[in-house]
Amino acid sequence: MTRYRWFVLPAIGAIVVIIGWMVFLSLGENLVYYLTPNEAVEQRADFPDGERFRLGGQVEEGSLMETDNGVEFTVSDGAHEIHIVHVGAPPELFREGVGAIVEGAWDGDVFRSDELVVKHDEQYQAPEDEGHPYEVPTDA
Amino acid sequence: MNRHRILGLSALVVIAIGLYFGSQAPLDQLQGEYTRIMYVHVPSAWLAYLSFLVTLVASILWLTKRRLVFDRVAESSVSIGVFFTALALMTGMIWGYPVWGTFWDWGDARMMTTALMFFVYVGYLALRRSIPDPAMRATRSAVLGIVAFFLVPLSYLSVLIVRTLHQGITVARPDSPIDGEILLALLSNVGAFTVVYLTFMSLKTAIARGEEELEEQSAAVDATPAGAAITAPNLEKVRDV
Repeated sequence: MTRYRWFVLPAIGAIVVIIGWMVFLSLGENLVYYLTPNEAVEQRADFPDGERFRLGGQVEEGSLMETDNGVEFTVSDGAHEIHIVHVGAPPELFREGVGAIVEGAWDGDVFRSDELVVKHDEQYQAPEDEGHPYEVPTDA
Repeated sequence: MNRHRILGLSALVVIAIGLYFGSQAPLDQLQGEYTRIMYVHVPSAWLAYLSFLVTLVASILWLTKRRLVFDRVAESSVSIGVFFTALALMTGMIWGYPVWGTFWDWGDARMMTTALMFFVYVGYLALRRSIPDPAMRATRSAVLGIVAFFLVPLSYLSVLIVRTLHQGITVARPDSPIDGEILLALLSNVGAFTVVYLTFMSLKTAIARGEEELEEQSAAVDATPAGAAITAPNLEKVRDV
């Protein structure tokens, strides 16, 4: 059997990855990673208040506000806008204009989230003006 | 100077060039200094895909030509590919923690398929260790080396097939939305890593050749006193040993 002991690590690793992925997909009902605001509004009936799902869109300019225990902002996909009430510290690079994916549930017309990640897009651009526009704001 | 030394010195030179461009290129307006992690992450992922492609080709060549050199190339390329897959996964986590706000995501297809690719190719190395006979080992691992390759396009294209947290494809598209200097730094490091791959391949295939010779010697020694209990490796089918 010692000939086969090297299979232990890859076998466990592959099984963990497959199970982890399947558990994630089965929790989401939809087989997509996140819903766009447009889809979330269209499928509002499928997700009653308290039913968790992921929602992703652009953080609208001028919509970001700090609250006592998190942030509030609006995500949009051009078609629809959804107001997000997020509890928890946002990631370091979270700001207006970036893509964001939140996890949580509807509460009437607002979406209450407790998980927030920044979705960086495939663009890599130097800042257009001098100075330090890529400096991370400390207040958000 | 031998082949290993020429390759090793060239690798040092191109790595220095890659480091220079990487340190000179402007930073992405959002990511800041975290941009530079890409200069290791993307070349590592490129080498992972390239390694497994070389293994695919070498595995097909073993099955058709039956020359052990192709088996050595296939094995060496997997060892190197597994290392660079791990490097791509780790640099991705280091980048993801500050930029995304998480270092791992169980729903992201790019991360899942790449992790799966990593474990399947570690499995390839485990398979090799479990088969003592060289010709049988070469044939069975060649089959896995061909079958497992489907994970490479699956990992690369995952960001196009489904929604992911991982960003889409930047460079290989007509309107590459990337700053010219950042692209130059990225491509120079992709080139530099490729020379590193060639250097590692040169060394690793030489080691594999030495291991094969040792195996033959010990098999010859073992065969004598043990009589019929042990048979020598089945090398008649192989032309170049």
